Amino acid sequence: MTAHWFTYCLEEALASLQRQRVSVMLSVLTIGSALLVLGGFLLVTVNLDRAVSKWSSAAEFSVYLADDISDEQRVALNTLLGGHPAVASREYVSKADAAVRFRRDFPDLAAGLADMPQNPLPASIEVRLNPARADGATLEAFARQLMQTAGVADVRFDRRWLERLGQIASGVRWSGWILGVVLLIASVLTVATVVRLALHTRRDEVDIMQLMGAPIGLLRGPLVFEGILQGGAGALVALAALFAGYVLVRGRVLAVLGPAFDAEAVSFLPAGLSALLVLVGMAVGCAGGYLAARHVR
Amino acid sequence: MYGRGIYALRDVSLVVEKGEFVFLTGPSGAGKSTLLRLLLRQELPSEGSVKVAGRDLAKLTPGQAQSYRRGVGFVFQDFKLIPSKTVLDNVGLVPRVLGATSVQQQRRTFQVLKWLGLQHRMNAYPLELSGGEQQRVAIARALVNEPALILADEPTGNLDPDPSLEIMNLFRDINARGTTVLVATHNRELMRHVGRRAVTLDHGHLVEAS
Repeated sequence: MTAHWFTYCLEEALASLQRQRVSVMLSVLTIGSALLVLGGFLLVTVNLDRAVSKWSSAAEFSVYLADDISDEQRVALNTLLGGHPAVASREYVSKADAAVRFRRDFPDLAAGLADMPQNPLPASIEVRLNPARADGATLEAFARQLMQTAGVADVRFDRRWLERLGQIASGVRWSGWILGVVLLIASVLTVATVVRLALHTRRDEVDIMQLMGAPIGLLRGPLVFEGILQGGAGALVALAALFAGYVLVRGRVLAVLGPAFDAEAVSFLPAGLSALLVLVGMAVGCAGGYLAARHVR
Repeated sequence: MYGRGIYALRDVSLVVEKGEFVFLTGPSGAGKSTLLRLLLRQELPSEGSVKVAGRDLAKLTPGQAQSYRRGVGFVFQDFKLIPSKTVLDNVGLVPRVLGATSVQQQRRTFQVLKWLGLQHRMNAYPLELSGGEQQRVAIARALVNEPALILADEPTGNLDPDPSLEIMNLFRDINARGTTVLVATHNRELMRHVGRRAVTLDHGHLVEAS
């Protein structure tokens, strides 16, 4: 397409959009709503994925020790932990250290602990995992092995709920895609209808241009451009609404889930995904515009 | 041929030489407009052939048909101007869509408007013009691309006698510059005034060629 074609199509498309402001606004809002839903799901899954990834890298075993663990059993346990490739580091937490942590994390319950005749909290070894070597099956086997080791009272392993969270994120993502695609198809049809209305209002002009010998691309071009502009505008509306929603909701999410989410962990869509959303909007508009333009033969 | 064996034109054999001025005449429904639509390739013949400059119009691809139309100017009884565009934009649309630069477009448009005496009306909209002026704008649009062939379907049908005469004189001047002109009209007075070959159609048949 030459520069003059591009300019002509753009100018005609802008003039047509100006002429039918109300129907164009409805079309833009329809695309915007569809992309808002898609973008909303993307925003949630991006943040869930990020949280899962962050928590996965920070995942750990807590190996609780029996009160009567012997020195030999303790040495054997340390040897087992030190020799396993999934273990990045480990820290011994004594019964006294556990009591200090409990009083710090749960100050309201601290008095109850003090009333007890002896400290009920077990000593433990907190094992920090190496994410690169800690796949689910390996860790399951390792946890079973630790449970059967003498001197070990219990093993707490937070990988299972992380995997569950990952599955939830995946479910949310797929639901978003399916709902988004359905809404985008509806948007394509809306754009096609609005552009066809525009075509009807300038049918005489198109007929005259056909008789003048205007190339078919030049007759269809403004209609396709109209769709692209509507789609792009819809995507920008969706991004603006999504950002406003994000700012409103972020503070509340952090207030409720503060200990689990830090402020940096919750963020808006990355620039690449935002640009992709705009491109999807323009592609939807382009498809709608082309559907309408096919009536020009 | 239309459906159920009805012929709009039948057994019509007509040759128009390059640079000729020909009137197509006859009563309403004689087939004048159909013949012009065939020449503009808005319709294709169900039998026989329509050739312009040696090219069979039925054999043109859609792209070639558009290319062919760029060499043909057309003028209709109802002017077919775009009401939302000024005179300048209506006439300038042709060079614009055909890829002329802005300077070329303005120069050609202004030249043709000046020749037709419309330069002072170039910023007016079609509905602000008289019928005669609107038809002159339509003629300007047909001429701006310097076509080899001009087709006019009842160009004076909506005009009073004086502007009608003025329009016919314009077609005569256009023809004098070497352009082939075919004008469909049933106004015998105007045909006599111009005094060129007239082809008469009736019920789709060629009944007289003088």
